[in-house]
Amino acid sequence: MTDLPASSAGSTTGVGETATHAAAKPMRERLVWLIDHFKREWQIYVMLAPMIIWFLLFLYKPMYGLQIAFKDYSIFWGIVESPWVGWEHFETLFNNSQFIRAVKNTVIISALSLIFGFPVPIILALMFNEILHALYRRTCQTIVYLPHFISTVIIAGIVITAFSPSAGIVNTFIGWIGIEPVYFLTKPEWFRPIFIGSGIWQEAGFSSIIFLAAIAGVNPSLYESAVVDGASRWQMMWKITIPSIMPTIIIMLIIRIGNLMEVGFELIILLYQPATYQTADVINTFIYRQGLQSGQYDLAAAAGLFNAVVAFVLVMTANSISKRVSRTSLW
Amino acid sequence: MSAVVLKDIYKRFGAIQVVHGINLEVAAHEFVVLVGPSGCGKSTTLRMIAGLEEISEGTLTIDDRMMNRIAPKDRDCAMVFQNYALYPHLNVAENIAFGLRIRRVKKDVIASSIMEVAEILGLTEFLDRRPADLSGGQRQRVAMGRAIVRHPKVFLFDEPLSNLDAKLRAQMRAEIRRLHNRLGVTSIYVTHDQVEAMTLADRIVVMNDGRIEQIGTPMDLFMNPVSTFVAGFIGSPPMNQFKGTLANDAEGASVTIGGARISLPDTVPSDPGREVIIGIRPEYVSLASGEATSPVAIKLDLVEPLGSEALLHATIGEDPFIIKAETFGDVSHLSGLTEVHVPAAMVKVFDAENGHVLNREPTR
Ligand SMILES: Nc1ncnc2c1ncn2[C@@H]1O[C@H](COP(=O)(O)OP(=O)(O)OP(=O)(O)O)[C@@H](O)[C@H]1O
Ligand SMILES: [Mg+2]
Repeated sequence: MTDLPASSAGSTTGVGETATHAAAKPMRERLVWLIDHFKREWQIYVMLAPMIIWFLLFLYKPMYGLQIAFKDYSIFWGIVESPWVGWEHFETLFNNSQFIRAVKNTVIISALSLIFGFPVPIILALMFNEILHALYRRTCQTIVYLPHFISTVIIAGIVITAFSPSAGIVNTFIGWIGIEPVYFLTKPEWFRPIFIGSGIWQEAGFSSIIFLAAIAGVNPSLYESAVVDGASRWQMMWKITIPSIMPTIIIMLIIRIGNLMEVGFELIILLYQPATYQTADVINTFIYRQGLQSGQYDLAAAAGLFNAVVAFVLVMTANSISKRVSRTSLW
Repeated sequence: MSAVVLKDIYKRFGAIQVVHGINLEVAAHEFVVLVGPSGCGKSTTLRMIAGLEEISEGTLTIDDRMMNRIAPKDRDCAMVFQNYALYPHLNVAENIAFGLRIRRVKKDVIASSIMEVAEILGLTEFLDRRPADLSGGQRQRVAMGRAIVRHPKVFLFDEPLSNLDAKLRAQMRAEIRRLHNRLGVTSIYVTHDQVEAMTLADRIVVMNDGRIEQIGTPMDLFMNPVSTFVAGFIGSPPMNQFKGTLANDAEGASVTIGGARISLPDTVPSDPGREVIIGIRPEYVSLASGEATSPVAIKLDLVEPLGSEALLHATIGEDPFIIKAETFGDVSHLSGLTEVHVPAAMVKVFDAENGHVLNREPTR
């Protein structure tokens, strides 16, 4: 597995070499090279096309609209005609206590779900790996994968039902040990545990697949050699499996850190209520309320841009730290 | 005293039986090589000794202790794998120390053991490198180091040299043998390379299709193969084999191949008319006639000079016939060769049906 980044680095230098090689030549030759290249490799570009088109249409074209973050946008004037206002929206945002609270909540919820949620799929994968009985193992895996395929709306329904004060299973249980029913979803202090817990329940199983694949890639003779050397299953897990899948873990961690500002806000919108805004309102739900519900598109765009810039800085930082510390990185 | 004893060992994977009753006694300090074609069950046998595969039937004892149900870690074997099985995330020193760490050996003992082993194997300057930064031969040495650092009762090798190029293989082969002379640990070594088997072994076990064909010293196997299979497997190039019919006349037993009458040694039981296969080692064919040799007409079609000797690819009638001749570098006189001489004493005779040898000599 440690070879993975090295080999991908190798292939990029390969391409880079041909490119610089071509650049060193005069214009004409470069053009010939390019035409030859396309003649030879056109199938690859055809295969690439849908992805490029998707990127252009859904990710790059909308960026054009980002400029309204710096304009006094009105749907009647349109994007181009609306007058520039500079940093005004950002000033408004940072003077808005609701926005500050949303930023704080975003960071807290993300950080908590990273801390509690990230290790779970790894632990699950390690546990599945220890199950020797094939049928039992497959059954367990299917059970934990299932929630991933349930739509968020239904997940929210399940959560609301489970935590309902009258008939919810949770309140029924705590009723048995003599505790008064709690209306969890109206209590700000309970929102985060419920949100993060249901997120883990929904996604941990499915996310474990990638770690299972990494574990499957470990050379089996490493384990055999360790068995002959006298290692227990526990020692093999700590000394072989985990170090072997470390590159995968780090890559996944970088991706997670990059998405730190992207809280799964559909579930929040479905679960929160004004009583829990205090702990539940995140940047994305704030944008949704400001932009779509109150029609302040320019302010919402500014908030979104802020979110994106922070996310970008986070990915870059995580990647470069990882590159320096562990020789593993996304790019 | 026998260190490792396999008694009537069978191995089945589900319904498929791949090892059909193996009996083998390996003496203490002995170097035994299991050799045979691909898929004959060598690795499976070795893995049963290591405890990586369960023994379906039969008993395995190591130092007189029954091992069938003993966990691999308590068998006190160390194994070297074909792909070395080095831990990519650990450096050389940590790789060598792995088995000791697992067994919670004291730190200072580990440190001195690493140094000692690195010294023996010439790895001292590589101790803090990762396996990825080593050459094939160095990796192979680390794998050896990991085995010897534990001072096990038995070394098990599964084709440890097959990933190396020819030159390095010859070098490491000598190193392994030297190491064995020095440490004297009982060793069982699997290979499909008969040269490795001949050069390394105290005794060779030739396996074929899950059975033992023959056990013997390298010389014994070379001089006295019990079957056409062993004759065709040991020696490079292998023994020439020709189909024929036994005949008896005033001059003794003979077989006629491609019109040439070949005299057989008088140890061949007289049984005229019996279908046989005769075996002639390329090394024992001589270019000049001598006492008790039979002249054979050949058609020479290729001379492969190997330096001081040459391989002559010829045919007798339709059958290929390979001859190894000493040439001392000069092959010019070989081009017109039409006749060679086969010494009767060096001809092996096998039953055509079951391939068993008919003139087995007492082991010397
Ligand atoms: N896990 C398994 N399940 C079923 N059959 C197996 C298994 N492992 C090995 N075999 C079969 O057992 C036979 C012996 O295999 P083994 O690996 O011992 O051969 P080998 O002599 O080591 O060959 P090679 O020189 O190619 O390594 C083969 O026919 C193989 O297909
Ligand atoms: Mg094998």
